[in-house]
Amino acid sequence: MLQGYGYVALFLLVSLAFAGVMITLPVLLRKFKVIPYKPSAVKSSTVECGLETTGRSWVQFNPHYYFFALIAVALDVMLVFLLPWALVLAGLGVFALVAAAIFVAILSLGYIYAWRKGVLQWK
Amino acid sequence: MNLDLLRPEICMALTALAAVGADLLFKRKAIVTAVCLAGIAAATGLTFSIMGNAPQIIANRLFSLDDYAIFFKFLFLGLAFIVIVASVDYVNRMKDFHGEFHALLITATLGAMLTASATDIISILLSVELTAISFYALVGFLKNGKTAESSIKYVLLGAINSAVLLYGFSMLFGFTGSTVLSGMERATAAIPSGGAAGGAGLLFGLMLVIAGFGFKIAAVPFHMWAPDVYEGAPTPVTLYLSTASKIAGFAVLTRILVTPFMQPVALARNWGIILAGIAALTMTTGNLLAIPQVNIKRLLSYSSIAQSGYMLVAVAALGMSSSNFLQARSSLLYFILAFAFAELAVFTAIVVMSRNKPADLISDYAGLARRSPLLGVAMTLGLLSLMGLPPLAGFMGKFYVFTQAAQHGLLWLVIIAVVNSVVSAYYYLRIIKTIWTDEPASEEPVSSSLGPRFALAFACLGIAVLGVAPAIITRFSEFGSHMFMP
Repeated sequence: MLQGYGYVALFLLVSLAFAGVMITLPVLLRKFKVIPYKPSAVKSSTVECGLETTGRSWVQFNPHYYFFALIAVALDVMLVFLLPWALVLAGLGVFALVAAAIFVAILSLGYIYAWRKGVLQWK
Repeated sequence: MNLDLLRPEICMALTALAAVGADLLFKRKAIVTAVCLAGIAAATGLTFSIMGNAPQIIANRLFSLDDYAIFFKFLFLGLAFIVIVASVDYVNRMKDFHGEFHALLITATLGAMLTASATDIISILLSVELTAISFYALVGFLKNGKTAESSIKYVLLGAINSAVLLYGFSMLFGFTGSTVLSGMERATAAIPSGGAAGGAGLLFGLMLVIAGFGFKIAAVPFHMWAPDVYEGAPTPVTLYLSTASKIAGFAVLTRILVTPFMQPVALARNWGIILAGIAALTMTTGNLLAIPQVNIKRLLSYSSIAQSGYMLVAVAALGMSSSNFLQARSSLLYFILAFAFAELAVFTAIVVMSRNKPADLISDYAGLARRSPLLGVAMTLGLLSLMGLPPLAGFMGKFYVFTQAAQHGLLWLVIIAVVNSVVSAYYYLRIIKTIWTDEPASEEPVSSSLGPRFALAFACLGIAVLGVAPAIITRFSEFGSHMFMP
């Protein structure tokens, strides 16, 4: 039992040592002038892909967006459940077919509900 | 997979969907109410039809159909019916959400019914969450500042509470190796009575579970949400929250503790004593904090916290009773029935009153008995029953519970409870005095339609019958005290 945890502790030590070496090694190498030190604007910029952001990131979204997002999530979840169901449907028989039909019917009712209540109109 | 034994629940789920559909199809909103009432009536009929099949396990031990579950199914269905009937006038206030209100009320009932029969920690958690999520939405229905505040408080604290509950469940699963309650019982039976390690870990898990359900039943020190949420929520929701949600919490807490964790006697004694301590704290805090309140819904929320304390006395007695716990469980069920009727009477009166007086101040009820005798009498009966005055239901409930507690060696707790009952008389009698002797601001009668009047009359009848002829109801509560978890 304890031996099993010993392996975990070993992994912890190795990972800590690895992280420590990786952080200190470049600093030390620069100190001993093994690697050159030539900073430039491009080099010291934040390493990110794409363009630099313009403006603040505290943008206000239209709250209406969340209704669409919620409905999309609900339909996505339906897809996630239906895909494995469709793969093994042949072996499961009528029971699985009826169960999935009920599931889809309930979710569709939610969709129709949102539609009729005017949630899908972008105001 | 004998899912057909979940007929009442399936009927309720279909009713909720039908309520949403009817709301979309028809302009006349009374149709939604009619659909819901018909669905509840059908579910009640289906519950009658499966009574003969009990006891039986359902869906591979996820649920159990036993007398205990049937007792609570009837209770929740009855409560939902009365709440919908009592709020027919009030829901006009939330015209845009008529369908949603009813559909969510039905799903909350569905969750409570499943909670009462769940026998696996996974199904327990799912059903408890179904009730809780429905209530999160219901509490915030009026969309003004107060309900929004109470709703967000309820959601945030409820989420933390679910995490605590889940942690407790994971501990129980870890120490017993089973998610099914009967499997846990087998594991605890195997623990030698002197063994400390398993017992201590289990007690830790049980403490977290008690904390989790302590939130649902508003036991001190997990009660902070109750006054704010009860005050801010629409009054019919408060009525349903203070009865169904709390009773569901007691139903499932009792099922988890008894019998799976009765086995090492030391463990049962330990959680019994912890619950006894919580009960004493809950009663005292609830009663003392109720005294200075001026808002009637806030006052009644503290009073309902105190009532939770009396119910916890019965659960604590269960822990202290090593073998003969049927009587103690029956006393809990009897008290729950008496409590439900009294809350129905008082809160239905508030539902009717708060149509014209949304501030819900106690002073608004001055001279109510003169303006509307039915409201005055119902409220008085309900408050006297909560207080525990002899010929009424509350007295028999308290008498039954306290006798059981005293028999199982909790005499000190009974003394605290009796002192608390005396303290509570002060604030209950103050409201009754306001209703009967104070001068009303206006003499005009309080208007109410047939639905709330029926609910009030039904509640009064229940209070009287439970108090005067307890033998009829005792048979029902004794029937309900039988569990089946193979």
